Amino acid sequence: MNKKRLLLAGLLIWLSVQVYAQGNYSGDLLIKNAQVITITNGTLENADVLVKEGIITEIGTNLKASKNVKLVDASGQYLMPGIIDAHSHLALEIINEASSPITSEVQMRDVIDPFDVSIYRALAGGTTISHAMHGSANVIGGQNVTLKHRYGTKDPDRLIMEEAPRTIKFALGENPTRVHGIGKNLQPRSRMGVEAVIRNGFEEALQYKAVWENWNLEKQQKEINIAPPKFNLRLQTLVAILDGKIIIHCHSYRADEIYMLIEVCKEYGVDKIVFSHVNEGFKVAPELAKYTMGASVFSDWWAYKFEVYYSTAFNAAILTKNGVVTSINSDSDELVRHLYHEAAKTQRYGGLTDDEALALITINPAKQLGIDKYVGSIEVGKQADLVLFDKHPLSIYAIPQMTWVDGVKYFDRESDQDDQRIKINIKRSPDPFRLSTGAHDCMQDIDMLFTENYHN
Amino acid sequence: MKSKKQLILTCYSIYLICTLLILGQAHAQSDNNRNRRITSSYYISNATVIPEPGIIHSNYDIIFKNGTISKIGKNLTIPNDAKEIKGESLFVYPGFIDLGNNSGIEIPTLPERPDNFDTSNPIPELAGIHPHFSAAKHYQFSENIEKGWRGLGFTIVQKIPEGKGMLSGSTTLVVLGNEGNNNLLTDYPSQIFQFNTVRGVYPHTKLAVMAKWRDLFQNTLLYQEHRAIYAKNTEIGRAEFDPVLNALVPVTQNQTPLLVASKSELDTRRALKMQEENNFKLVLLGVDEGDELIPVLQSKKVGVILNLALPDDKFSDSLDSEVQGKDYDARMERARKAYLEPLSLASKYEKAGIPFAFTSLGLEKKDFYSNLSLMIDNGLSKDAALAALTLNPAKMLGIENISGSIAPGKMANMVLLTDSLFTKNGKVAMVISDGYLFDYQDNTNSEKTGNQVWKYSTETPVGQSKGTWEFIKKDDQWEGIVSYDSPKGTGTKKTKMKTLELTDKSLSFSFVVETNDGVLDVTVDGEIKNNTVFEGSMNIKGYSQFTVQATKDEKPNKYHE
Repeated sequence: MNKKRLLLAGLLIWLSVQVYAQGNYSGDLLIKNAQVITITNGTLENADVLVKEGIITEIGTNLKASKNVKLVDASGQYLMPGIIDAHSHLALEIINEASSPITSEVQMRDVIDPFDVSIYRALAGGTTISHAMHGSANVIGGQNVTLKHRYGTKDPDRLIMEEAPRTIKFALGENPTRVHGIGKNLQPRSRMGVEAVIRNGFEEALQYKAVWENWNLEKQQKEINIAPPKFNLRLQTLVAILDGKIIIHCHSYRADEIYMLIEVCKEYGVDKIVFSHVNEGFKVAPELAKYTMGASVFSDWWAYKFEVYYSTAFNAAILTKNGVVTSINSDSDELVRHLYHEAAKTQRYGGLTDDEALALITINPAKQLGIDKYVGSIEVGKQADLVLFDKHPLSIYAIPQMTWVDGVKYFDRESDQDDQRIKINIKRSPDPFRLSTGAHDCMQDIDMLFTENYHN
Repeated sequence: MKSKKQLILTCYSIYLICTLLILGQAHAQSDNNRNRRITSSYYISNATVIPEPGIIHSNYDIIFKNGTISKIGKNLTIPNDAKEIKGESLFVYPGFIDLGNNSGIEIPTLPERPDNFDTSNPIPELAGIHPHFSAAKHYQFSENIEKGWRGLGFTIVQKIPEGKGMLSGSTTLVVLGNEGNNNLLTDYPSQIFQFNTVRGVYPHTKLAVMAKWRDLFQNTLLYQEHRAIYAKNTEIGRAEFDPVLNALVPVTQNQTPLLVASKSELDTRRALKMQEENNFKLVLLGVDEGDELIPVLQSKKVGVILNLALPDDKFSDSLDSEVQGKDYDARMERARKAYLEPLSLASKYEKAGIPFAFTSLGLEKKDFYSNLSLMIDNGLSKDAALAALTLNPAKMLGIENISGSIAPGKMANMVLLTDSLFTKNGKVAMVISDGYLFDYQDNTNSEKTGNQVWKYSTETPVGQSKGTWEFIKKDDQWEGIVSYDSPKGTGTKKTKMKTLELTDKSLSFSFVVETNDGVLDVTVDGEIKNNTVFEGSMNIKGYSQFTVQATKDEKPNKYHE
């Protein structure tokens, strides 16, 4: 009997959390007496932050709000903007469409998995936004999607940050050459081939653009004298890249290939490009600063394959000191839960200031995703994506207490439940907790392409 | 021997030639296979008739001729040539319609992969994109295959083409009539779409399936535009015939429905997104989850075909297992609730007022009536269940003028049951399909096929254990199923026998019992006396041996399994 009651109580709490999370898309909130780490305007001692309909409306002291506004006493605690992960594969059903060296037509927004419990775990680590990316199997992969961690919804579209501009995945080096070159005997088989694939793609896109411009003009004529062209979403997307409507996020490791893509982009007039991983970025830091939207790196992860041997934990600091917009990303459902640890490592390796270190996981990734107008710092007018830590977030003892997205609380350490899944997949084992969950990675979903022609 | 064979061959060829010579009258002359009906005119007398859900008539007669119902009512004047079907104790329902069934469909032959095959740019057929294929061309009616479906009450089946990729072709309707006939109703095709791929070529995942669909849809529109312009101005050059785009033209014109196979609620949302981007007539095939999408589907007038196949019950057994802790119990409780969701999904559609149909895809025939009963136990009304098997699919296919209910002018497709539908005693006695009568009363006639059922009991230290052994002869090989009380405490379990040897004098077999801790290997061995009594032993590996007695059931129950 007792057991049943406990069960029921647990279920009720869970349900109420669900209703709360699903019912409100933006919230009102007053956080009192926090150490407010604004990122862009220093740290405010014992300040209040007022949120209305998901937007920060006031920052100051002794702020008041009407009775029905949720009040949080944050005395002695640290409030910072929600952490942003510029390179992630969280909440995706599929990661790689590894069947062609260019797959710019595919869109990660078609395969968002709102049931991925990793979203909740990311929230528990203070991460409110992740950049859900295509994998690195193709030279030009799919179009990514920027997600807000509004966990609890069953509607994948509810997770999309609609304000975010379009972004696309590029990948250089070993992964695309292994999958397509070695795996299927297609171009690219070498780094030279990678460049050729990109150039050919851009050239075809220019021709495609001209054909369609011509057709659109012809269609306005009284008598049409040419046949309509074929529609090609792949080339159309490449046209949008050349037109500056899409930000490139490029998987890369070596300085030579990074410099190569900078040169190719310069040639085609593309300046919206962010490099990911960039382990040898420190060698081309001035170029990255001058020609790109920045670099998104690991704090200290390397040597997992040949092209990633020449690396240093000082990378983020060197890039930062050279004026590169630098972020630290997770590329992992596990690391995304403690990106504040990763940021803190730059204080040990490179002596970055608190603000510089925290910018790596807040305003800088926001800039790289083109969403710094909306998020990435605590400023009036920005969206209320916030996380409250019990200690300074760069302290190894800090633990996130509450996390808000658009002023709605999606994580509270106090009411954290053992089982936070939204959906139970009965097609699998009734008790999946006994199974290990598969880890995502950059090369996921390419299995078949390997087994057919190539054995790892 | 040899000469006799040749003689038969010669006779047969002569017969064939004769048949060809007098083709028009051949059937009137000879009916060696007894396929020909004495009359095509029948009447069902004095039956309880349920012409459509919610209506019931007692002591009704139904007259049908040449495959069409001509009259229904009380005390009808019976035509002289009509053969009587005594309906006194029978309940007559409209024949069921199954949307989405692939039994008997051949896998189409695809072109060979060339030596220098480029997986990133395959020809459409090798990429699983062949909407120009048709199930009608890859299907041949076979009584062997369809007998079982008809025995459940199905009379019209929508056959879907075989294919691993996103567009495998158009469907065809089949009436489960007489084997000698063609039985295809090809006027009501749908295009079938799935998020599955051939894999290993482009499109490899549903990411590219979505992108490819957008491309195909736009190019189908441009293809039509090209042809329209060419009709006025041939100087632009003709549009090269494209079988793929050509097959999709009726989909883009809202004529042919696109039947999108949905394996999850995320698939359903993807299908809705496809429809939002490019308008077409959307029907969802095989829905088994996502009740919160019901209002959306309703507002968009999306056709819904629910799964008759239901998930396995993994929970009834394990609930009584030893205490695993609070967390475990809470998780199992959630899992059990999740298991119940597909069972109550149909009732939720009924409550929302969305007419839905059913598909037998993935269904084992033996589960048909029990799964419907599970849905009824979980809130679905019997009328709604009947509608989902008759009226709704007829409307969805646009064939309600010829099917979906029992009325004059409609096809003579009817199911005759021994009691009302979805009751314990309501077994299929006869099925009338396309005006042909099929008797299912001796469906599992054990004497004919030699099938046997034995009842056994064994004394074990924990009490008496009872169950049955069923032996079925398939291709001169015995197959056996043993039923036993589940060691997990609830219910009876059935499992297949292994290493079965059955003769008139002896019987031996082994089987595996799953318990909470692992598996038990059980072997049974003994002698048969007088063809009806078995005495032997049951040996549980690693434990002990018990004596077993069994007797042959002279009149095994006839289930329409």
